[in-house]
Amino acid sequence: MTDNNVLLSVDDLFKHFPIMRGVLQRQVGAVRAVDGISFDIHRGETLGLVGESGCGKSTTGRAVLQLHRPTSGSVRFEGTDLTQIKGEELRLMRRKMQMIFQDPYASLNPRMTVGEIIGEPLLVHKVATKAEADERVKQLLELVKLNPSFSTRYPHEFSGGQRQRIGIARALALQPSFIVCDEPISALDVSIQAQVVNLLEELQNKFNLTYLFIAHDLSMVRHISDRVAVMYLGVMVELATRDELYSHPLHPYSQALLSAVPIPDPVAEAARQRTILTGDVPSPANPPSGCRFRTRCPIAEAICAESRPEFREIRPGHFVACFFADRYL
Amino acid sequence: MPDLLLDVQGLETTFKTPDGVVHAVNGVSFSLQEGETLGVVGESGCGKSVTMLSVLGLIPSPPGKIVAGAANFFGRDLLKMTPSEIRHIRGAQIGMVFQDPMTSLNPVLTIGRQLEEPLTLHLGMTKHQAAARAAELLSMVGIPNAADRLSDYPHQFSGGMRQRVMIAMALACSPQVLIADEPTTALDVTIQAQITDLVKRLRSELGMAIIWITHDLGVVAGLAQRVIVMYGGFIIEEALVSELYAKPSHPYTIGLLGSLPRVDASGKESLTSIEGAPPLLYEKPTHCPFTPRCKWAIDRCWNENPLLETVAPDHRVACWVDVKTGRAR
Repeated sequence: MTDNNVLLSVDDLFKHFPIMRGVLQRQVGAVRAVDGISFDIHRGETLGLVGESGCGKSTTGRAVLQLHRPTSGSVRFEGTDLTQIKGEELRLMRRKMQMIFQDPYASLNPRMTVGEIIGEPLLVHKVATKAEADERVKQLLELVKLNPSFSTRYPHEFSGGQRQRIGIARALALQPSFIVCDEPISALDVSIQAQVVNLLEELQNKFNLTYLFIAHDLSMVRHISDRVAVMYLGVMVELATRDELYSHPLHPYSQALLSAVPIPDPVAEAARQRTILTGDVPSPANPPSGCRFRTRCPIAEAICAESRPEFREIRPGHFVACFFADRYL
Repeated sequence: MPDLLLDVQGLETTFKTPDGVVHAVNGVSFSLQEGETLGVVGESGCGKSVTMLSVLGLIPSPPGKIVAGAANFFGRDLLKMTPSEIRHIRGAQIGMVFQDPMTSLNPVLTIGRQLEEPLTLHLGMTKHQAAARAAELLSMVGIPNAADRLSDYPHQFSGGMRQRVMIAMALACSPQVLIADEPTTALDVTIQAQITDLVKRLRSELGMAIIWITHDLGVVAGLAQRVIVMYGGFIIEEALVSELYAKPSHPYTIGLLGSLPRVDASGKESLTSIEGAPPLLYEKPTHCPFTPRCKWAIDRCWNENPLLETVAPDHRVACWVDVKTGRAR
């Protein structure tokens, strides 16, 4: 990679989960969760990754961090291909990349105190002694706006929003440069979501963090992201800067997705033209030929079934995978 | 003046839990007019679902208990009815749709069998008539090959399709009122758009009144005519939809709208979060439940709970402070 500004570069990433059947557990097929995607993430930016359930956005996040080993493709982090390293080497890289999970109830061990949870990465990676870790935990709790004395309490004593802050403190413990946020706010109440998002933005400014922000809430993704990528059934259909994507979506799926998001304003809602998609998302174990979206696409033609549209740069920085995207330019 | 369909007065519901009595609903009064769509908005634990379940006689007792109140429906109090009396109302005159279409259908009975049940039970149809009507209902909610799909089981339908089945079932006996409790929350945004679109069409075709319970201020903006905002078991604001979004007057409503990003925003918006967390309601609040999180709070807010007062035509607010001036009303 020549571009110094690129922190993470994903190239032709595939992740297939095998489907096993029978006594001999033969592989009879594969769930093509991520089916050939490429993108870069720049230092200090937030890349939003949106799509509906089952589109492969969470799998992408996990494959990037090597929590799922990709089936093929490369993930270059600061120039190192993470798919080619393992063991101690990978463990050292993991310090620099962390994850914040969706469910703040399931992602914290109920038998550990908050202090143990946040301090564990420091001890596992042997970067601090017990005493140093305790001190660092207090700083981290203050950083996420929790009372440092909470370190001796257990997760069940906290609300969803507070637990998510604990998860954020744990992710920050090793001073990473890159954090995958996998639906970090979707389990939280509306009034708490803004608290957590504001905190994430504040921390990003303070530590120059780079985020991959995975979510299905398109309004929140618009708010937090610099660039946004849209996924559908394992492939990336569009990638552009935030304002470009939200004001000039070029892929019919992005257009339909954006038009389906309700706006908290009755005047704007009444004036809107909706593209209502018919039908459901096909199964990723048996995706349609050619363009994945063609079975629900309002403008599909014969060619869409024959070949897969290339993910091409139609305008500087604006990528789209559709044969007919030029129509909307 | 359209006729009053449902008139709820002073409803109070409590739950006995191992940690103490939870005061879930603390004196809620509202009415529903013929043919109108009423949005009920609030976060988890605000009492919005419990209010409707109380009205429908669906609160498990114990631990739940309706302490006070009345719910007049065509001159009869639903809260005083015996279980068998209210069973004749539920499903016949009042239809219901719940959040999770996965668990609200019986997995071992065919869709047809489940759709025919209310028809034979409430309308006294023969099996043959019911089967024909069930097919009609399924095609009315946009399920293709309706007659063939009656013999299918719930697992053969997708989430969006199951919610369509639930709507068909709720509308089977042409009820005057449809109560929908977070019916689109578990669905993806493009499927949510399909369902709200369907409900709008059915509403104009069938003319039933709708109570739509949700935490999503966006969905309500496009669907409801009047909105009730709940917090801590109280109604804190009530207004016509255009008025509520243009001139929110309760600090909580203002906070909620301020913490929501908009998909149609331009440039970078800032989100104002509401600090703190919703109340736990182990005691019946003697002061305004929002006071601990309210930036406008004055001394009186800590001592007395404000009642709903009319501040403009069709606009009622429960707050001691006029947020426009920042002074006491």
